[in-house]
Amino acid sequence: MSLMNFMIKRRFWSIVFPCLLLASACAWNDAAVTPVQASVFQDDPKEFETHIQKYLALQKKAIGTVPSIPKENADAALIAKHEKQVADAIRAARPNAKQGEIFTPGVRRSITMAIKHTLEGKEGAAAKATILGEGNPKSDGLSPPVNVEVNAPYPISAPFSTVPPSMLMALPPLPKELEFRFVGRNLILRDTKANMIVDVLPEAF
Amino acid sequence: MNQKKRAFFPGVLALVFAVLFQVQAQQPGPAVQPSPAAQPARPAATPVQQPSLKFAILGDTGTGGKPQYEIGEKLTAIRTTVPFEFVIMLGDNMYGGDSAKDFQNKFEKPYQALLSAGIKFYAALGNHDVPDRQIAYKPFNMGGQRYYTFKPKDGIRFFALDSNYMDKKQLDWLKSELKSSGSEWKILFFHHPLYSSGEKHGPSLELRKLLEPLLIESGVDVVFAGHEHFYERIKPQHGIQYFILGNSAKLRKDGITPQSEITAKGFDDDNAFMVAEISGDEMSFQTISRTGTIIDTGKFRRVERKTTTTK
Repeated sequence: MSLMNFMIKRRFWSIVFPCLLLASACAWNDAAVTPVQASVFQDDPKEFETHIQKYLALQKKAIGTVPSIPKENADAALIAKHEKQVADAIRAARPNAKQGEIFTPGVRRSITMAIKHTLEGKEGAAAKATILGEGNPKSDGLSPPVNVEVNAPYPISAPFSTVPPSMLMALPPLPKELEFRFVGRNLILRDTKANMIVDVLPEAF
Repeated sequence: MNQKKRAFFPGVLALVFAVLFQVQAQQPGPAVQPSPAAQPARPAATPVQQPSLKFAILGDTGTGGKPQYEIGEKLTAIRTTVPFEFVIMLGDNMYGGDSAKDFQNKFEKPYQALLSAGIKFYAALGNHDVPDRQIAYKPFNMGGQRYYTFKPKDGIRFFALDSNYMDKKQLDWLKSELKSSGSEWKILFFHHPLYSSGEKHGPSLELRKLLEPLLIESGVDVVFAGHEHFYERIKPQHGIQYFILGNSAKLRKDGITPQSEITAKGFDDDNAFMVAEISGDEMSFQTISRTGTIIDTGKFRRVERKTTTTK
């Protein structure tokens, strides 16, 4: 082998070999399946947590003002009545609640960043399709309209968007009394006990 | 040096390509004995070994329409020959509302005879279900939780998941519960299918990526899902038997992708329900249409796998 040939081959391998290693590392990574992404919610987690705790205290107080029912009940009418009583009590306790009180500008920035991160790439496209697909009240135009406003009830006849696991892992964890859902591209914070919208982050992605 | 390189590069190349093009060999799944062609309903060909556990499966039920009531009648009738002890529901238990009237028309009335006979229903949540109304509804036996587990018989454990909202808390719970369940039969049921030949929805790939490694590692045997409004028995994947049953009231005709490679049996012509029996290490099942025709039947043995256990 001539020196020239050797040099060409060496240059070839110096380019190809790292590429192959990189490709193999990517393939390995994919195969290893590590779907739980680290939370990218870096900014203002304490601020968000503080607002959540404040809301939970208000919710607990509101629930305390209405007649309690057993954890499980065979009377669906009673369950619905209790839910409405809780919602009414919460509304009465925060009559002037406004959009952005929990999703403050700092929290909003972090959440939109986390959402953007989750929706990147090929897998992100699939996650986006999941959010906007069946379940999202705006997916088919057949669901009843959802009034995306603070303190508005979430219509019981409207379906619920599926929130992709990768996004739930990236967003700050919520207590069981609250959950994230999407209505179209709007992210809502929903009170699960009162079936009520607590805050709205419009056009979250 | 050059000679060493000549020997070195092909070796590395082989390694790299081996990694790149690694073939994930599918573990042998539970061999399902062949299902006969459609035939009139007859008493289920269930094993006579004792003790066994018989249960029924319904998916995407809550329409309150005629097909749901007809399936309810057929399910009641089949109980005289297959005395199942309970029913699992795969989500979308209430379409279009969760008012008291909805609970009556879309659950209590269609299954009145079974409820009166003391048959328990265990529900999983779908994307059309209002979570807190259903988890608080006693006849759904969810214990006030979005996800839960129950053990109807020694050695058999069921896990109901909320696939609509798979957060870290639920995932950690599932890991912990599967780990502590040892060598029991592990049967999962939830709404969104991990495998599907559905033309409209297809599989929930992200959920599969998240759950499948855990299911394999934990020795899960069977997974039931709904969401797709047809019946599909998937060829075993990594030793796990997957069923889709989302046509117990709704129906998407021609919803299954023709000649799908993962379909062991598909049925998208009519509504259907399932009955199953676990006896020892064997599960037998029948899928029956609204008209009473057996559209799929078979049995399989659970695959022996190493399970993680704390015991």
